[in-house]
Formats: sequence, C-alpha cells, structure tokens
Amino acid sequence: MVWKKTKKNLEYAESIIDTVREPLIALDQNLRVVSVSRSFYDVFKVMPEETLGQLIYDLGNKQWNIPKLRELLETILPQKTTFDDYEVEHDFATIGRRIMLLNTRQIQRVLGKERIILLAIEDITARREIENGLEKARKELAAIKISEDEAREYSESVINTIREPLIVLDQDLRVVSVSRSFYEVFKVNPEETVGQLIYDLGNKQWNIPKLRELLETILPKRTTFEDYEVEHDFAAIGRRIMLLNARQIKRVWGKDRIILLAIEDITERRETENGLEKAHEELTALAAELKRVARVKSEFLANMSHELRTPLNSIIGFSEVLYDETFGVLNEKQKKYVNNVLTSGKHLLLLINQILDMAKVESGKMNLVLSSFSIKGLLNDISMLVADIVGKKKLEMILEIAEDLPHIVADELKVKEIIYNLLSNAVKFTPEGGKIGMRASTRKADSKIEIKVWDTGVGLAPENMGKIFEGFFRVDTPYSRVTEGTGLGLPLSKKLVELHGGNLSVESEGLNKGTTVLFTLPIVSGKGVRDGKESVGCR
Amino acid sequence: MGKKALVVDDNANNLLLGKDLLEVAGFTVFEAENAADGIAIARREKPDIILMDVRLPDMRGTKAARILRQDKETRDIPIVFVTSSVMTEGLEEIKDITNAGFLGKPINTRTFVKEISQFIK
Repeated sequence: MVWKKTKKNLEYAESIIDTVREPLIALDQNLRVVSVSRSFYDVFKVMPEETLGQLIYDLGNKQWNIPKLRELLETILPQKTTFDDYEVEHDFATIGRRIMLLNTRQIQRVLGKERIILLAIEDITARREIENGLEKARKELAAIKISEDEAREYSESVINTIREPLIVLDQDLRVVSVSRSFYEVFKVNPEETVGQLIYDLGNKQWNIPKLRELLETILPKRTTFEDYEVEHDFAAIGRRIMLLNARQIKRVWGKDRIILLAIEDITERRETENGLEKAHEELTALAAELKRVARVKSEFLANMSHELRTPLNSIIGFSEVLYDETFGVLNEKQKKYVNNVLTSGKHLLLLINQILDMAKVESGKMNLVLSSFSIKGLLNDISMLVADIVGKKKLEMILEIAEDLPHIVADELKVKEIIYNLLSNAVKFTPEGGKIGMRASTRKADSKIEIKVWDTGVGLAPENMGKIFEGFFRVDTPYSRVTEGTGLGLPLSKKLVELHGGNLSVESEGLNKGTTVLFTLPIVSGKGVRDGKESVGCR
Repeated sequence: MGKKALVVDDNANNLLLGKDLLEVAGFTVFEAENAADGIAIARREKPDIILMDVRLPDMRGTKAARILRQDKETRDIPIVFVTSSVMTEGLEEIKDITNAGFLGKPINTRTFVKEISQFIK
C-alpha cells in the first residue's frame, strides 16, 4: 500500500528497509538486485558494489545459487504474489550453515509497468537452534520424568510385590508408603495408615515398646538393623512374632531421611521350630522311656524266671522222686498221674526257657558261644534222638546228608536246639504212616550250609503262613496234643538261625500237603551276625 | 561215716527236697531257712558241702558265702549255689567266689547228688 502513494513515500519506504533488522532485498523482473537493506550486507557479508544490478543467484560469488530459492522465485512466485515462511537451509561459504525463512511479495512498481520482488530474509538459525535445544531439553526432561516415574513405579511395585510387609516412614515416624501385603497381613486400611504416626496405626495397636526402642533408640545410632525380634499381641490378628529389618536411607531429592521397615512374620516358623523342639524332647523322653521299659522288661523276665522256677523245682523234683519210687512203690494209676504232673512241669519249664530265650534274642542279649564242630555229626545225632518217637509213630524218616559237609563254626548247643525243634515239629505234625526227612548240602555260591526239614503232614493254610512266626501260634490237629508244643519253637529257631547270619523260611502247598522248613547257616558264623560283637561271644 | 551237708533255702519245699535227696544218698543234712542260721550252723558243724540258695530273706547267698570265706574255719568248705537265678546276672554274681559251684533250679533229682558230690574233695 505504502509503495503506491508518492516518491516521498518511496524514500520513506527505503528508510524502513534500512531500518529493519531483517535483511531485505528487492529484485526486478529478471531477478537482478534493485535494492538491498543495510542489514543484508551485514548479515550476508557482501558489498554493495558486487550486489546491485547482479543476478541474485550470482551474489557473493554464486553463494546464492540455492535450489530452493530458484524454486521459489521461478516456479512458485509467478503463480502466487505473496509467499510467507518459505524455509530454506543453505551452507554459505562466508557465514556457514543458515536456516532462513523467506517472505516474498511481488508488487507492481508505481513508476512503470515492471514488477519488483521484495524478498525478506529472516535468519532463524539461532532461533531454530534454541528451539531445537529447547526441544531436546524438553525431551530430556520428559525422559528424566519418565525415568523418575518409572523408578518410583518400580520401587512401588517392588514394595507391593514382595510378600513381606514393608512400611516406609519419614523422619517423624509417619507412614509415607506401605506395601499391599502390610494391609493384608495387619488388617489395616490405607486411609487410616498413610500419614499416620506408626504407633497410632490400627487403633494404636502398633504402640509396641520394642518397636519404639528400635525406632527411637537403636536406629538413630545405626543406619541398619536386622532380625530385631518383636512379639506383640495384636487386637486384630492375635499374638505374632515378627522379625524387623530396618534401613535408614537419605532421600535423593532432599535432606530428609526415610526409614524402611520390613516385617517378617515368623509366628508360624517359630511354632514349627517349637513344635520340632518339643517333638525332639518328646522323642528323647520316649527313647529314655523305651530304654527304661526295656530294662524293666528285662528285670521283670529275670524275676518271673526266678519266681516260676522256685515252685517248679518242687513240682518237678517231688514228682520225679515219686515217679522213681524212691520212698515206696506206686500203683499203676498213681505212677501214671505223677508222670502227668512231671510232664506238665517239664513243659512249663520248656516254656519259661523259650520265653527267656526269645526275650534275650530280642534285646540283643543272646550270646552265641562259637566253636568248630561237624555239622554232619550233629545232624546224625539229632536224627537218632528223634528216631525213637519216629518209630513209635510209624513214620518213615529219609535222611539225605551230603558226605562232604564241612566243619562249621557256630553255637553248637543252639544249632542242636534248632534241628531238634524242626525235626520234632515234623514228627508232631505228621500223621502215622507219613514221611519226614532232612536234606543237608553245601551251597558253594555263598559258603552256607543249606538244611531242609520236610514232612508229609498237616501243612499250613496260606492264611496262617504269616502267623507261624508270631509266637504261640498252634496248629490244631487231631495228631498234636495240646501239651506237645509251646508255639515258640519255630519263632525261636528262626531267631537263632538269624543270629548266626542265616535265613529260615517255611513253605507249604496248603493244608494236609506237608511242610518244608528251609534254613541256611554260614560255614563260619560270627561275621555279619546280627547285633554285631555284643551278641557274639567266643569261648 | 556219712558226710555232712548244709542246705540253706528259704523255701521249705525245696529245702525238704534237697534234704530228702541227700539223706537217701547217705548224707547227714542240716537245714537253714536264712543266711544267718546257715552261717551259724556252718561254723558249728563244719559240713563237707553247703548248698546255698541265692535269694535269702536276710542277705544274698553270695554275701553269706563271702562271710564264710573270711573265716578260716569255714574258708574251704565247698559251696554249691542252687538257684532259680539262672540268667547271666546270677552267674556273674558268684564268679569271684572260690571253691564254689552252680546248679540251676529246677534240679534234676536223678543227677543232683552226683553233681554236688563232684565239689567235695
């Protein structure tokens, strides 16, 4: 508008051009420089003489040959008369990289028909740098903020994730933050917790003398404290034993200190420990009691043995004297009856002896008296001993005793007892006309003597198989009289075999199908004998 | 001349049984139902053998035996403990008594006198 008026106005305009801080350049239709503001020279370090009348592209040694400027002047401007904020970035040889905003106006010159182009150049390099710096700073700030938020979130999520209740206090012992588990464990609400004095929490339930001691006396002196044990009876959750772990830390963003207090509820652990300890004590007491019981049992058996033998001495002694007619002749019936007394007395004595032997074996007090002897000779001797009753019962006895049986080291009396028990059982439980037998051989594989005592007698029902070693189990048969066995012979034999380091087992195919007792004896007993040295005494 | 035997037993029946068996074998038998009487009779009669129960009302037979061993009059009289205490503990108790033997109850009446006679010199 201004340009249209007068010459005066033109001069005025030119002075404006010179005054404005912004470089301004006026071009004619052919893009040659008509006029230039002083600031243009200042900014772009060019001289008036090498500027006026020049093609703009040739300015400053062709520094202005800028593709984007050409685009603006040759392509855009012919179509539009004004163009604002056309951004051009260019690296000038003299002044370095510049970012410019070009504002152009195409105006009709008042004096003629020519058009002139006004080109205002705003150097925004510094502004852009500041903007970029600001942007960068903003981004960094944002990043810092994010990381701070993240850190806070992270620590809060740590606090909330851990199972252990955690409480954060400020210097004045007021609650800053609390883990979720704290609320769950101690049954308190967030609204009545945060900002409160710790002692006031949960209706002053936390006013615990030992906690006060920790927070007020101990922590000021030490920055950390671990496993400070506190026992307290909470109204809401009852008596609890807790381990407190405290850390006093300086807050990063200030001079305040905060106190982290982790609370480990060890009530149950302690209960378990106490339970264990109690169980251990009980076990110790039980062991002592068992020992005492074993001693009492052993004393009881010794007393029982003594007390039973005293009257038995009279029963057996006098009936023997009577039976032997030492003091006069008895009639047949008297003799038969006194023999019944004698037999019963001896049976009772056998029972007592076997009970004592069982007790001795079980308490580990049975000692083996080891010697070397011929097992072949022993087997033959015992078979002769039962030959009498075998004959009376019209049984057939089949002996298969290997010729090459070695001498063995064992307790001879006990081996005799075992063989006698088994053979007399075979006789006892086999009806007249049946067969009994004994087979003995050496088992080379493990240096053991294998002895089998068998019969064709009453056998064992499968359901009774397990009972025969329990003691006092008796097979009721028409062939065995009640007085004939004690029910302890087989269990005792098994124990004596095992004491030697052998095994004893019983087989039967069922009732009336006969019985086979198989047992082994080491050629040399004493090694690997049950109960070790204590139960094996050598003569 | 028959030999003299002292039987010390607090059980009258067993005392009688021992006495009978010994008398049948020709012994002169003295009886005592407690240790004190037994010691007194032993000192007075100086028997050829003493049959001693172990559990006696006034003291253990083994203690009575030690008392007799301290007296030179009775020091050498053989003592056979006839006892119902046949378990190991019973045997331990008499181990250190000199010139002593052991017979468990119930006794075998058919071999009793023969067994104790082995202890008489």
